[in-house]
Amino acid sequence: MPQQMSVAEEIFQFVREPIDARAIVENLKAPEDGAVVVFDGFVRNNFKGQRTLYLEYEAYEAMAFAKMREIGAYMREHFSIHRVAMVHRLGRLEIGETSVLIAVSSAHRAAAFDACRYAIDALKRGVPIWKKEYFADGAVWVEGEKPSQQAISAPSSSTL
Amino acid sequence: MLVRVLFFGQLKEIVGASQEEAELSEGARLEDLFERYGRRFPKLAEFRESIAASLNREYADWRAPLASGDEVAFLPPVSGG
Repeated sequence: MPQQMSVAEEIFQFVREPIDARAIVENLKAPEDGAVVVFDGFVRNNFKGQRTLYLEYEAYEAMAFAKMREIGAYMREHFSIHRVAMVHRLGRLEIGETSVLIAVSSAHRAAAFDACRYAIDALKRGVPIWKKEYFADGAVWVEGEKPSQQAISAPSSSTL
Repeated sequence: MLVRVLFFGQLKEIVGASQEEAELSEGARLEDLFERYGRRFPKLAEFRESIAASLNREYADWRAPLASGDEVAFLPPVSGG
């Protein structure tokens, strides 16, 4: 008898190995859904025009994991979605490798698009993760925004 | 009272450690703790406006009072994604 594959309704994860985007997305598809929207963020080959060799991500993992779960809860509350996967890689990444994958399934596309857009914006502004870019002649910690709870709980994004 | 202090990103490099234990007097607030580190590491003080503080893994106000056993972190501008 074939084994029934267990399917997670929600995945929040930090990983140190390559992210298998295809497997995550396939696993997210439920028969009753009609759409999956995926955001696949990968390592760019330059930083403000300077050639990047590789980069490193680090996180305040305990807090970051809790904040990702809060983003998931907000998505369920505000968008008519079904499954959510949010996976972020840490450690050293090479050019072109996926650093973050967010996938949202839904019966209809609009909710999935809106929820996915909210999720990546909230992650970038509200989850304690940092990246360091390495160049031939040095390295720099990339400074995004001052992190805030508001980015997660009261987003001002144009999608809402 | 004793609190645990965590540093990330650039702040970790300035301080030269990812975490420390800090002994504080009763009634101390988050901002007092940061000021103390700012005196030890003047470069850290320059970040005051661009960083957020967390208390027991939640974003916290700089005026939040600390208690023994608390976990404090100073969070420089984030760049995940």
